[in-house]
Amino acid sequence: MDGASGHGYVPRRMASQPESPALLDLAQVRAHTLSNGLRVRVLPERSTPTVSYYTFFQVGSRNERLGLTGISHLFEHMMFNGAARYGPKEFDRVLEARGGHSNAYTSNDVTAYYEDFAAEALETVVDLESDRMRSLRLTEDSLEQEREVVKEERRLRTENSIFGLMEEQLESLVFLAHPYRWPVIGWMEDIQRIAREDCEAFFRTYYAPSNAAVYVVGDVDPDATLRLVERYYADIPAGPRPAPVPQGEPPQRGERRATVRYPAQAPALLAGWRGPAARSPDSAALDVLQVCLAVGESSRLRRRLVQELELAVSVSISWGWRIDPGVFLAFAELAPGVPVEKAERELWAELAKVAARGVTAAEVRRAKALLRSSVLHELATHHGVAHALGQAEALLGDWREAGRALEHYAAVGPRDVKRVAVEYLDPTRRSVVVLDPEVRR
Amino acid sequence: MSPSIALPPIHRETLPGGLRVIVAERKGIPLAAVRLVLRGGSSLDPSGRSGLSHLVALAARRGTGRHTGEEIDLAIESIGAELGTGVDEDASYFGLSAPVEVLPRCLDVLAEMAGNPTFPAREVDRLRRREVAALAHDLDEPGVVADRAMLAAGYGSHPYARSSEGTVRSLGAVRRADVAGFHQRYYRPSAAFLVVVGAVRADEVLALVRRRFAGWRTAERPLPPIPPTTAPRTAVVVVDKPDVTQSQVRIASEGFARRSPDYYPGMVASAVLGGGFTSRLMEAIRVNRGLSYGVRSRFATSAVGGLFFVSTFTKVETTAEIVQVTLDETARFCAEGPSAEELERTQSYLCGLYPLSLETHDQLAEKLADLELYGLDDSEVGEFRERVRAVTPDQCREVGRRYFPLERRVVVAVGPARAIARSLERFGPVKVVPARKMV
Repeated sequence: MDGASGHGYVPRRMASQPESPALLDLAQVRAHTLSNGLRVRVLPERSTPTVSYYTFFQVGSRNERLGLTGISHLFEHMMFNGAARYGPKEFDRVLEARGGHSNAYTSNDVTAYYEDFAAEALETVVDLESDRMRSLRLTEDSLEQEREVVKEERRLRTENSIFGLMEEQLESLVFLAHPYRWPVIGWMEDIQRIAREDCEAFFRTYYAPSNAAVYVVGDVDPDATLRLVERYYADIPAGPRPAPVPQGEPPQRGERRATVRYPAQAPALLAGWRGPAARSPDSAALDVLQVCLAVGESSRLRRRLVQELELAVSVSISWGWRIDPGVFLAFAELAPGVPVEKAERELWAELAKVAARGVTAAEVRRAKALLRSSVLHELATHHGVAHALGQAEALLGDWREAGRALEHYAAVGPRDVKRVAVEYLDPTRRSVVVLDPEVRR
Repeated sequence: MSPSIALPPIHRETLPGGLRVIVAERKGIPLAAVRLVLRGGSSLDPSGRSGLSHLVALAARRGTGRHTGEEIDLAIESIGAELGTGVDEDASYFGLSAPVEVLPRCLDVLAEMAGNPTFPAREVDRLRRREVAALAHDLDEPGVVADRAMLAAGYGSHPYARSSEGTVRSLGAVRRADVAGFHQRYYRPSAAFLVVVGAVRADEVLALVRRRFAGWRTAERPLPPIPPTTAPRTAVVVVDKPDVTQSQVRIASEGFARRSPDYYPGMVASAVLGGGFTSRLMEAIRVNRGLSYGVRSRFATSAVGGLFFVSTFTKVETTAEIVQVTLDETARFCAEGPSAEELERTQSYLCGLYPLSLETHDQLAEKLADLELYGLDDSEVGEFRERVRAVTPDQCREVGRRYFPLERRVVVAVGPARAIARSLERFGPVKVVPARKMV
């Protein structure tokens, strides 16, 4: 769950590259909207006899409110517990018996479900997915059981994970008013409180076809697939328009800090800055900055903090594209005994250097080469293509944006990288979480 | 679905120095996946020097006769690739995936690293310090600690018992001479192979590899044999982490080597018991009782032996319960075997998804490397579905009785000992180990 990354697709032809076999031919995508508002996008691609079927619901933790945090994610679990035609335990059984596999994730912005399966199971999958969109059964028993499962998930990923503990603190520092303030999995007490009626209201609003989109990529016939989707989904009624998400985040006027005291072996440092919304042209420049700083052994922070000064064991940057302005996040696992202040000073100094002097043209070229490979890797599977189409439409409002990532990167120059470093990584607008490894005697 | 899986054209050749080269020509994405594999891995680490092979693999890129480590980093990353290294009990791996047009440069770097690394003392020392520091962070991850404890308890005194990342003490004892000596003894073309998969032409790749690796020659000596594994004695190991709110649990018993005839029945039986979302364990533990977010079972198969294990986690209060439910479900499986419907569903699941495990160039390169490492034939891929379909309910029950943790087994729990140790006594003699002893 969680963690959106911002890449999309390779356009069919790039100016600087020889023409390659059609990796992703956007012209082949068949797009259609049903009368109930369900959006459908189908891309035939026959290299492997499999299909990836993604359903994106435009709902995530940003649509929640305090007291019901975590409902998007808990609800995601409920979707596997039975509907009118396929009852409890049947969804996965039927799918697996047809040679398929399903899973889902919830992020701040979206809830996405997928099935990867042998091509001949397509109709079964359309039947399964439309069944639960039309007629999910929400029972007290299944809610109680999923509640316990989700509490275990929270214990796994947050309460007994150092990064999880720190990240939860950081997001609540970076955001005061925006719902990105709370964790996607929700606060433990809210997970305990969510009632069946809450789930029913949530389902009616956010799981209506008018709030969803289906992406089918793989060994399929596009016309037949559209007819199939029409046949199974057309009678599901449209839903109400979801309430707008509060956007009143006040400006940050000074550094914010928190300390996590936890019995750990070594200290760690997490810093974050509020970035732009995914739609901003600066998003691509921040991707390039991320690679210059912390992707690969020759990136600036790895060289300085890990190799030269040996302050950190690892350094990473995560810049996750989100619908509303998201977080540019730097994480360093420090060597035992290293004073956190020392690591902080060096991190701030490296970032200040980029803001003052920018990065070289060679660094930008290196970053673009790595980004291009990552886009190609994403495109290498039906699953990756289906996800990227859905992600582009959910975050940027248009699945075609999936084909424009490399164009956006191509337009980024060293000056843009310097500009976004100055604009977003301002020391007076950073939030810092420090892990204080409290040693047990 | 068609029963057979067609592989792309595969070309194999052995160079005069002994290096095996395997090239698969594929269409599509203009990337090439490359793997250089050295046989042996961490089972070659001398006693008291565990982690040595891992350090050798990390250090090999930190300087060669022609380039510094920084130059190598920059050369690789500037063409859009990242060089990965890894070591397991049977081999050391170098891998990268890059646009096809830069394949020659990638092969240059791999040939230098394999044949001519200089192991600068400063870099070796730095990496050793970093790896020791990284162990502290491993210790903060309960799942990683549980896996380490399971290997140690499951394999006893066998080399497979040691984590390939080593320990604070063993890494502390490693000197540069150990690193250089390990490389000299074990990085030999006759114990190595290279896999290239991608939108390439085999004849071009082979010509390129012949030139790039021509200079890599060493004396011919066989690798030392690894002793066979033995079954563990029944025991419970509690790794004490006083502050966690969730226990990580592993239950392990003796498994089999990768080449065992039990491989296919074992894989299918394990999938019915603990693969996928509809497995018996998933249903008993997650769906019916809400005890955990996840549970799975697996045969880990290596060159000379293996383990069968179940891996899960639950809140501290239900640690003994989750072990009991797992053992009960396992015993029931061994008594009854799978139902016809369950077996059929599991077979369809494994067969339907199999092409997805070969979809990318990297995945196919890994599969071909596995076949070569364990001396298996391409028919393992081509006939995968027939072999899975041929497994009977009786075979599943038989393989379960032989390998699942009914009698000789280890139970590992990472959690607060004062809260869980006593409740686990019913599963065998309990030994409590402080977490820091695990690295």
